[in-house]
Amino acid sequence: MQYLVNGLTIGSFYALVALGYTMIYGIIRLINFAHGDLFMAGAFIGWTVLGAFAGMHAPAALLLIVALLVAMAVIGLLAVGIDRIAYQPLLRASRLSILITALGVSLALENGAMMLFGAGFDTYPTNLLPTTGFLLGGAHVTWVQVGMFVLSILLMAALYLFVQFTPVGTAMRALSFDQDAARLMGVNVEGVIMITFLLGGSLAAASGVMMGLYYTQINFLMGFLMGLRAFTSAVLGGIGNIPGAMVGGLLIGLLQSFAAGYISSQWQDVIVFAVLILVLVFKPTGLLGERVVERM
Amino acid sequence: MQKKRLAAIAAAAATASLLLAACGSTSPSSSSNSPILIGVPVPLSGPYASAGTDIVDGAKLAAAKVNSNGGVLGRKIQIVPVDDACDAQTAAQAAQKLISDNVTAVAGGYCSSASLPELQVFHQNGDIPFVLDASTNPQLTQYGYNDVFRTIGRDDEQGPFAANFIANYLHAKKVVVMDDASTYAAGLAQNTIDALNKYPGITVIHQTITPGQSDYTSELTHIASLHPDVLYYTGYFTEAGLLLKQAATLGLKFQIMGGDATNDPTVIKTAGAAANNFIITTAPLAQFLGTAKSYVTDYTAKYGQAPGPYSVYEYDAVSVLAQAIKSAGSTKASAINAALHKVKDYQGMTGTFSFNKVGDRTPAVYITLKIVNQQFTAFQELNSSGQWVSVP
Amino acid sequence: MIARAQRLSPLIIRFGPLAILVLSLAIPFMINLYWLDVMIGILTFGMLGLGLNLVVGYAGLLDLGYAAFYAIGAYTTALLTTVGHMNFWESLPFAVLFSAIAGVIVGYPTLRLRSDYLAIVTLGFGEIVRITATNLGFTGGPNGIYGIPAPSIFGYQIFSDMSQYYLGLAFLLVILFFTRHLAYSRMGRAWLSLREDESASEAVGVPSVRVKLWAYVFGAIFAGLAGSFFAARLTAISPDSFTYTQSVNILIVVVLGGMASFPGVLLGAAVVVGLPEILRFMSLWRLFVFAIGLIALMLLRPQGLWPAAARTRDPFGQLGPPGDDDLPQFPDAPKAKGAESALLVEGLRRRFGGVLAVDDVSFRVQRGQVVGIIGPNGAGKTTVFNCITGVTRPDAGTVTLGATPLRGKQPHEVVAAGLARTFQGIRLFKGMQVFENVLVGMYPRQRVNVLGSLLHTRAQRREERDSLRTARAWLRFVGLEEVAGVKASELAYGDQRRLEIARALAAQPQVLLLDEPAAGMNPSEKRDLMGLVRRIQQLGVTVVLIDHDMNLVMGVSEHIVVIDRGRKIAEGTPEEIQRNQHVIDAYLGRDESEQDDEAVNTWRS
Repeated sequence: MQYLVNGLTIGSFYALVALGYTMIYGIIRLINFAHGDLFMAGAFIGWTVLGAFAGMHAPAALLLIVALLVAMAVIGLLAVGIDRIAYQPLLRASRLSILITALGVSLALENGAMMLFGAGFDTYPTNLLPTTGFLLGGAHVTWVQVGMFVLSILLMAALYLFVQFTPVGTAMRALSFDQDAARLMGVNVEGVIMITFLLGGSLAAASGVMMGLYYTQINFLMGFLMGLRAFTSAVLGGIGNIPGAMVGGLLIGLLQSFAAGYISSQWQDVIVFAVLILVLVFKPTGLLGERVVERM
Repeated sequence: MQKKRLAAIAAAAATASLLLAACGSTSPSSSSNSPILIGVPVPLSGPYASAGTDIVDGAKLAAAKVNSNGGVLGRKIQIVPVDDACDAQTAAQAAQKLISDNVTAVAGGYCSSASLPELQVFHQNGDIPFVLDASTNPQLTQYGYNDVFRTIGRDDEQGPFAANFIANYLHAKKVVVMDDASTYAAGLAQNTIDALNKYPGITVIHQTITPGQSDYTSELTHIASLHPDVLYYTGYFTEAGLLLKQAATLGLKFQIMGGDATNDPTVIKTAGAAANNFIITTAPLAQFLGTAKSYVTDYTAKYGQAPGPYSVYEYDAVSVLAQAIKSAGSTKASAINAALHKVKDYQGMTGTFSFNKVGDRTPAVYITLKIVNQQFTAFQELNSSGQWVSVP
Repeated sequence: MIARAQRLSPLIIRFGPLAILVLSLAIPFMINLYWLDVMIGILTFGMLGLGLNLVVGYAGLLDLGYAAFYAIGAYTTALLTTVGHMNFWESLPFAVLFSAIAGVIVGYPTLRLRSDYLAIVTLGFGEIVRITATNLGFTGGPNGIYGIPAPSIFGYQIFSDMSQYYLGLAFLLVILFFTRHLAYSRMGRAWLSLREDESASEAVGVPSVRVKLWAYVFGAIFAGLAGSFFAARLTAISPDSFTYTQSVNILIVVVLGGMASFPGVLLGAAVVVGLPEILRFMSLWRLFVFAIGLIALMLLRPQGLWPAAARTRDPFGQLGPPGDDDLPQFPDAPKAKGAESALLVEGLRRRFGGVLAVDDVSFRVQRGQVVGIIGPNGAGKTTVFNCITGVTRPDAGTVTLGATPLRGKQPHEVVAAGLARTFQGIRLFKGMQVFENVLVGMYPRQRVNVLGSLLHTRAQRREERDSLRTARAWLRFVGLEEVAGVKASELAYGDQRRLEIARALAAQPQVLLLDEPAAGMNPSEKRDLMGLVRRIQQLGVTVVLIDHDMNLVMGVSEHIVVIDRGRKIAEGTPEEIQRNQHVIDAYLGRDESEQDDEAVNTWRS
């Protein structure tokens, strides 16, 4: 039972970051390797805002909301900027060259953050969130965990509804099917791509700030492992598919939690990747991925 | 039809090699009044960059001290830091860089896995003296090289110390020893387990976690199901802080201890009040060494923050090297190595020490620290008759 | 400028390789030990880059776990020399063997995946290998393995930097030698064709899974060799050297240098290893500057620093003058004309969602005939072709080629059985040269195996020469001999159509399916095409063609099948069809939809 709670908590973080991978992949077929580092940058922006207002005796809730919003705005814009500078010019070139720029952006963000914020670990204040909780079937659950989980689900649901039921969302879906056709039908392709990066970036930032608050420790390399796991989640669920990213993230979280508990922590990544490979071998497009029809 | 390609390859490689040849042609002259160069290979990028910077600062402080006293053999000492990135291949290249810079001796090292290729490079290039300040893997002094020394204790000395504390002070019956699969932590864990097994009636369980995660609640849940008295974590401070915080969230009550790599303020910043009661076995920080009061003052005055855990050992490494060069009367590697082997009861910032046959420091010093009211405080140490006493 | 470069190039061609060899032998005497060490690093990455180039640059498979094979080679040598008491040279065959086996183990179940999924699977495999090495006892755990003996040659210990440099250079040259053999062989062309267009490649007879597997296995083998060298050079290895980051660095070597470009890969290795060293003076900023430099280089040169040029300048230069007997013979064809069915389609049925695209279609094609299939747009003609060639699985029905049932065969097996095709939208391997396109079409006819390609055996060279001669004959047959050396993408539209036909003919099929060969052609090109179809028929090849141009179809076909809404509505000679009331109705009723031709068919397929 405790493993379930642990797994869902970490899984909801994976899912949030995985959404960004999935959205961007869905639209421009790019595995955005820099996405995990946007998450890291978001955590640092939130930390900076909290540090700047630390002296003022503002209510904790207000501080948190300001930090969250600032981080989402800044990182959303950063993501758009990265897209315009580093990705757009290469959209028509080979897919691998754009992948390499994504890796370059990732490296630049990591080392840029190291220069700005230092190589060590920075910590969020530990007193902003309550530590109380309750027992559920023998498992310790804190209110913060519940809050984080609910917030993640809400964000994901909002995104899902946005993509399904708004005009911009419809344009996004059209784009993911056929960019040229969408352009012919009058969709503002550049605009939609910008909105996608804006959304993906701010979601990553939101999860970065939440992660910082929950685990308190942040570091310029934290985006790497997160990115790796979130990417794995997105693929497991079926990349390009929003509910798939949610399912994938939660599953990876649970898988890790149970693997660490019942088998061994050091083998958990082996187990996660082995399951992923097995799933892909038997269901090549991920759990919820739709079949891609090959064109002749 | 293949010639064209070969020509292209040729041109590519030629460009590359000319580029490199051009860059490689600068090498410093070593006239009699140029400074004596001491190389400091440490990680200056990646996750351990902060520890590396701290060590370089300690080295510079020692060099400044020596130089203000007139230098060595009428020459100044100059510190040459290089980034070994805590990676074997980069480390081999970093060591070669120092060789090509014509360093007289080397003092440094942080990751044992990087120090290993480094010391082989130095050994192969004329036995350049290498004084380790923080690499504690026992293997490093076991190659029979006579140019390797260290100013810090070995993991296999900290292990028995920790085991003694767990058995004789905490009187634990069931102990979980946990590492993060790094060279250093796995070595310390194994030495601790070996030592614990010599005490009758203690059950030892070995666990390994994956570093770099944010969530260890499942690992802790599993450990709690084993009902231990003590959890001894031999990995690094990052994970230690998270473990403490998450153990508190889970309501776990057993004593948590850490090895010397957990000796870092980040633990307290991460875990907040949950860090209280955490016990650390460590080579003493400068702050807890009676002999190093002046070092802490000087370091803080110069760099605006308290020294990290290892820079004081680097300070001693550079200082003892300077003394050896002086007493050797020469910058020849063989003479310096011989002088280092003769070092006896050297009065360093970290206490009085000598180098034994293989170059290890004797005696090694360890103490335990405890976090009280979110502060590191000196806790227990072994007195000369092997009893646990409070650190004065 | 350009003219001067061209005048210079013969000189470079003649003396370049010699100069580079001399230079690379002399380098150790020109630079200090530190830069020599960096050079060894460049050599190591050069080996890895050349190996990965086969996988990524040639076969187009994204591999994010390449360091795993590097690790397997390194650990094999380390373990066999320390625990197994072998010497370095004895351990090499095992390093090759184990990495090849690992290549098969990862490759076999996963190579059917699309490339982005393959990326994560390889990434996962890389992590699995690294974590396993970290966790197991016999691999030395996180400490890795120490005390690997230095290799010795004729009693001389390779221990000093200089001797290690020469050992590395030797390894690099050996790998260069073999990878180039592969790259310019039947296998190398098949890899490139997969990268260009996987389904087209499969449809001209390349068994894609097996060919990809070979790319994977050779990539693994060369990484294993590089790993052995690495272990012997550092005398100590640990799992830290084989991380995901390392895999990414090797990938950067290939893509930054230029995919499928040998000089590019070597230049890429020099940049990836050398640039951070040159930037050392920036200390903390150096990785940041490296990252910015990487982005800038990719933006300025998306194809890489030294993109792959046209691979062969004068394709037929090594052959003698063209002879008359170069075209392959189709011996059994003329005498069998009309005697039996070349292609028999019975009860073919295929449903897409709610639409019955093909509904119970049967027809018979006699040997040596030209048969036309016509029908309004969206009638299901292309789907019939796709069902026949194995691209689409029919829900019901059988297809028989001569006496061979084709049902359940993969597209490349269908080609091997003797049935080739062209596509409605032209699907050439656009980045490859014209004659290479034809050579890929010969893949199912060529017999020299991959070992022969690797070793460049006498049989392989003979077959290559024969193939080139045949390719030239086919190009002359369709009138493209003059442009054999240009890239397919540079051809005019009508020429691309003809090249596609030549590529299909290169497989020497009994039956050739042409899907709208006249689409987009002007009247004179169409006349030429009619002549070409007749000449193909004279070779003894049975032709089935789909087209909308009635003049063309009526002009060349001896027999016509009419399909409407998935059903066969008529069949007979051109005269019969022109008089058939069903056909007239079907066409008159839907005349206005003619314009949307392409779009409708694209949606449907």
